[in-house]
Amino acid sequence: MPSSISSSEITTTRPGFVRLTASDRPGVAQPVPVRDIPAQPWPRILAAALSLVLVAMGAWEWRTRALGLQPGDLDDGPSFWAEQRRRLDRGDVKIAILGDSRILYDTDLDRFESLTGVRPVQLAIAGSNALPFLEDLASAVRFNGLAIVGITDRSYFREGAGLGGPALERYRFESPAVRTSFLLHRGLSRALAFLDDNYRLNRLVRHLDEGWRTGAQFPVPERLWKLGTVMDERQTFIWARLENDPRVRAHQRSTWGRVVPPVSAAKILNTVERTRVAVAKIRARGGEVVFVRPPSALELRVYEEETVPRTRGWDRLLESADVRGVHFADDPAMQGLVLPEYSHLSRACATVFTDAYVRAVAKLTPWLTLSPRAPPLLSPADCTAAGTGLKPPLRHGGS
Amino acid sequence: MVFNSLTFAVFFACVLVLHRLPFSWTAKKINLLIASYLFYAAWNPPFVILLWVSTVVDWWAAKALVRAQRPVERRAWMLLSLFANLGMLGFFKYGQFLLDNFSALMSMLGVAYQPAHYSIVLPVGISFYTFATMSYTLDVYLRRAVPARHFLDYALFVTFFPHLVAGPIMRPTELVPQFAEPRSVSKQQLCFGLALMTLGLFQKVVLADGFLAGIAERVYDRDVIPGALDAWAATLAFGGQIFCDFAGYSTTAIGAAMCLGFAMPDNFRFPYAAVGFSDFWRRWHITLSSWLRDYLYIPLGGNRHGEARTYFALLATMLLGGLWHGASWTFVAWGGLHGIYLAAERRLRTHFAGYRPGPAALLGLGLLTYFLIQLTWVFFRAKTFTKAGVVLRGLFGLNAPSAPIVPGIELLLVVAIISGLVGAHWLMRTRTLESVLARAPAALLAGVWAALAFAIIIEQGAGNAFIYFQF
Repeated sequence: MPSSISSSEITTTRPGFVRLTASDRPGVAQPVPVRDIPAQPWPRILAAALSLVLVAMGAWEWRTRALGLQPGDLDDGPSFWAEQRRRLDRGDVKIAILGDSRILYDTDLDRFESLTGVRPVQLAIAGSNALPFLEDLASAVRFNGLAIVGITDRSYFREGAGLGGPALERYRFESPAVRTSFLLHRGLSRALAFLDDNYRLNRLVRHLDEGWRTGAQFPVPERLWKLGTVMDERQTFIWARLENDPRVRAHQRSTWGRVVPPVSAAKILNTVERTRVAVAKIRARGGEVVFVRPPSALELRVYEEETVPRTRGWDRLLESADVRGVHFADDPAMQGLVLPEYSHLSRACATVFTDAYVRAVAKLTPWLTLSPRAPPLLSPADCTAAGTGLKPPLRHGGS
Repeated sequence: MVFNSLTFAVFFACVLVLHRLPFSWTAKKINLLIASYLFYAAWNPPFVILLWVSTVVDWWAAKALVRAQRPVERRAWMLLSLFANLGMLGFFKYGQFLLDNFSALMSMLGVAYQPAHYSIVLPVGISFYTFATMSYTLDVYLRRAVPARHFLDYALFVTFFPHLVAGPIMRPTELVPQFAEPRSVSKQQLCFGLALMTLGLFQKVVLADGFLAGIAERVYDRDVIPGALDAWAATLAFGGQIFCDFAGYSTTAIGAAMCLGFAMPDNFRFPYAAVGFSDFWRRWHITLSSWLRDYLYIPLGGNRHGEARTYFALLATMLLGGLWHGASWTFVAWGGLHGIYLAAERRLRTHFAGYRPGPAALLGLGLLTYFLIQLTWVFFRAKTFTKAGVVLRGLFGLNAPSAPIVPGIELLLVVAIISGLVGAHWLMRTRTLESVLARAPAALLAGVWAALAFAIIIEQGAGNAFIYFQF
């Protein structure tokens, strides 16, 4: 029973067309449109469709939980980062962490707080170059605390902000609609496990391709499967399944880019100079900057050294920019930690590493002091023995 | 806000509930007007002022037009409306483009002129609502319509959120009468409106954003030199993406309006089954092409003043139509190419006036049309002529052998989605969606509806803006 929701009737037709449009009526006032409603029991169809969707969603939720996803695992993203970044604008933040995925995944905020009595704001972002974020911090007039900058040489000495670029833009302008959608999504993520960016339909389909077309590979960020679990305040740890599932672990290990051309001397010089300027700005406001180089396995480290040798990168950065830093290779307390996929620490070892680097930074600068109620020192044995069953054949590379 | 966002889901649920409460018709319209301003302000609140300016200028201009006795006076009020609307559009959308081109021209003449770079933010949907408000004044000026009797009806015509930021571009005579009289919404309308919204969002979230956008980006947004396979995969993917993106928006908008009891016109009629370019433009972005025809092509003379004038009007309309899509010469080239296609078709139709193609010839001409349309998308998608040239050479296999770019599964996706899309357009070529749905078994409809909704939910989406928002 075709019916119209419009009060006017159009009776003329063009051959082959059921309904006329403005394209058939040149140079005249267009009448009120007519829309047919197909003669179907739409309320019953809607009820049936809704029931089917609910059943399918339930099944999908069950399946994704079986795969290791959990409700409360919040997707990271530009809005989440921007929310944390705005905390600095209040002017009462004492410590901020910048950097890429390593310092992000390898920092246990609870441990940090229990050691120092201060809870840092986590501003590191996966796949990013910390330098533009350090420069952003340098221009943040209300921040005069300690910035801990996590460095992965390849990321820090490259062009651009990397995958984190949109986060800075989102901080500078976030529309009310985007902000509201972010808050709603976060609320739903606390209840639904399947709301995970890594398990979107198109990503699952694309992951079926295991090199079908020779030479045409997805870029590294798209080849990666789920890597981390994100909680409130962007506390991020490696996904538990990477520690427990050899197949998933093997995939991630095979994904990391190995050979990257060496960084030019000019680029290093430019990076060091930009760092020096940013650090000077922060210091001029009374703040301080410390660098941290988290661990990576020897399997990656050899390639990282080829791209930016420590002497040309890390050492020169500290010297020329006049900053102090903690390199994992120099500290016995950071040796032998477990890196399931070569690049990020296991959940347990992230706590051990945090313990070690916080204590090391506290020795470098008066900005960080250990609380009188700080828990006892941890050692690598605390995570390699009790943790995951993954022992350190996953070595660290020394310098 | 965008339709494919959680914010819109909550917003729309609230609007539906409010609209079904037993308020007076005036109260319901006020609710819709406030909701529409909220919808727009959710993007960038200060830009609501532009919307008000556009609304108020045309309201008073149209009123003054009717009161004016002398033709010159009428023309003055009409021109005031045009200057206000086009001035706003020109400043926000084309200001930097004009400055840059002026600077380049000066440079060619040997004058060193470097204008300051202004960070002008483009108000979302400005091209759409300025066209809608201009059509109000122009229809009154051309005596095709009388001014709205109540400001509320007129303001709602401009602002009504389903069409506000990306069309369909409504004419006052299509929408104002719908606000004048109370309208009720039946359960049938509500449910079918929701079905249309699901279909539109599936096109946008799953097909356009989820599967096709990334494939086009691999070639168009990276510094690569594609071979024939990659160039075709990316270009066909973009052809599919822009259809699914924009037709998806229009379908969602039509569905949203229907849920509230209002009718909006078709904006797409299976355009990839077009045979010829005039047929294409009767199927693609119908409300824009008919707007350009009625307010630009016909006033430029249309086909009433001889062949030469007709070709001039055709090309000028398409060039300006191209520029409407974006402040870049690549869009002008896209429009110009369509103008040339239309002119060539007109010539051929005159030459072969008695020719009636059989089924095979029809299919062949349809495929030729599709092929030539895809070539135009290269200029639409590429950010520079250099990039467009690289992709065009790739399409014709003229680039030196290069490394493969598009992964195997994405080649399969392009083949599956685009052949499905084009096949569906040919099947639906002379039908409406409603006529097909009316004959389908109800159980099948429920299953398909559920499948589309489930795909949207598990694709999740990232609230990406619709391509046409930037226009």
